[in-house]
Amino acid sequence: MGSPDPKPRGCLPAIACIALLLFAHTVVASPDSPVAVDVGVVLASNEGTTMDPALSSIRNQLQSMFTYSSYRMVDRLGRTLNVGETGDFSLPGNRSMRVTPVPSEGTRVRLAVQIMEGDRNILTTTLGLKRGGMVLVAGPTYEKGVLILIISAK
Amino acid sequence: MECREARQRIQDYIDGRLPPRPAGEVREHLGACGPCAAEERDLRGVGELLRLWSAARVGEREPQLSALWTRVRAGIEERRKPRHVPLLRRWLWVPAAAVVAVLGLLFYPSNDSRAPFHPNSFDVTVESIESDSATVALVDKGEGLPRVIWIIEHGKS
Repeated sequence: MGSPDPKPRGCLPAIACIALLLFAHTVVASPDSPVAVDVGVVLASNEGTTMDPALSSIRNQLQSMFTYSSYRMVDRLGRTLNVGETGDFSLPGNRSMRVTPVPSEGTRVRLAVQIMEGDRNILTTTLGLKRGGMVLVAGPTYEKGVLILIISAK
Repeated sequence: MECREARQRIQDYIDGRLPPRPAGEVREHLGACGPCAAEERDLRGVGELLRLWSAARVGEREPQLSALWTRVRAGIEERRKPRHVPLLRRWLWVPAAAVVAVLGLLFYPSNDSRAPFHPNSFDVTVESIESDSATVALVDKGEGLPRVIWIIEHGKS
């Protein structure tokens, strides 16, 4: 009694799935598709010489833009938002940030951003950036330094 | 030891499942108690009969068992023979697995809050900017550097 021939492995289905995934990824990145908002909350100060490992990839940019000696990420916040949906992010120092993706054209995303300290509005802005792009908001004081908000959208 | 307890333990004693001390107690009781010793002999006799009966049944079934073993051995030999799978098919899983792993890393939703930032652009358009209680300024040091919106809080900076 002979054993059956080994059946072909599932490579073709796997490759087909991968191609489908890639196709799906390009399709979903349309202007009105959900936006993954990523916010890094960094405390920059002249206390010590810390460079948070999570910031190592943008170390040069931070050191070119600012003159602080220490950059420590105190929080990392993320939300995936649909166009028109508002995400609330809690920030240190009784502050909060509201981010709302607004309709856009082309491949860019537009974000309406509002930063509050208690009831006070300290920033209202609308940003247009590429998916995967980044912008920084800096200045609010906290402890012995200032906060730098690293806002990126995918 | 009382007879009731000894009889509960006789079978374990015969099977050698008692620890040395309880076994010694049972042995001592059997040496002194005729009825319990008779019970032990009966149980040993039953066990011996069962063994003989089992051996006889195995003897009756010997041809079938032998045939079964032959088939099992043939199956083992068959398994041992090297299979001639084409080289390409044999190693195709390696690039497929690598592609799947890379895509998994790219697309798997990570909750790692310590993951490094990897911006692909600092091209940002600031359409509007205002504040009710602070001075705000847009700082642009050119391409390759991120744009920074500075908030200068009154009386704090």
